[in-house]
Amino acid sequence: MIKVAVESKNKKHIDQIKIVGHADYDDYGKDIVCSSVSSIVTTTVNGIYEINREYLQVEEIKDGMILTILKEDTICDKLIKNMLNLLSELSENYPENIMVK
Amino acid sequence: MNRLVLNIQYFAHHKGQGSTSNGRDSAGRRLGAKASDGEFVTAGSILYRQRGTKMFAGKNARRGNDDTVFATVDGIVKFERLGRDKKQVSVYAVEE
Repeated sequence: MIKVAVESKNKKHIDQIKIVGHADYDDYGKDIVCSSVSSIVTTTVNGIYEINREYLQVEEIKDGMILTILKEDTICDKLIKNMLNLLSELSENYPENIMVK
Repeated sequence: MNRLVLNIQYFAHHKGQGSTSNGRDSAGRRLGAKASDGEFVTAGSILYRQRGTKMFAGKNARRGNDDTVFATVDGIVKFERLGRDKKQVSVYAVEE
């Protein structure tokens, strides 16, 4: 199961998002949940990279990655929020394969 | 910060766990000797189950159409050599 842990000290601003684990929906190469998560996260991170290089730091860890938000940027905030909404929708459809908390 | 390379299986379990279409086998046919050397057998008793002629039929023994060797008389079983590299099983009648 992929676990998406969102950390925010105050309600308004997200500080860190940790995405770790395996979807285990199907074998490697056929795991549609994994490919959705990978695509959503990659699209968001690369989109943010085009808008504001200093907004986000990406650290790849074992079985996942940690996104640490370094600055405030309204557009990038919206992209992150959109990513989390999509991941939450995904976890509603595939509760055994992804969890957002 | 570097752009992420799009790997759409980034969060998939790593390589492996492919399924295989093998994994079937038939039950063992329990071939081989069915009587031991020096054992008394009755006519018609099966002496050796085989595919092909690992064991030839010797005296007072015959080979069925599935290559099974069986006794044709009551007697004592003897496993013997046949030539340089063959084997046969014979049955010797017990003198009254």
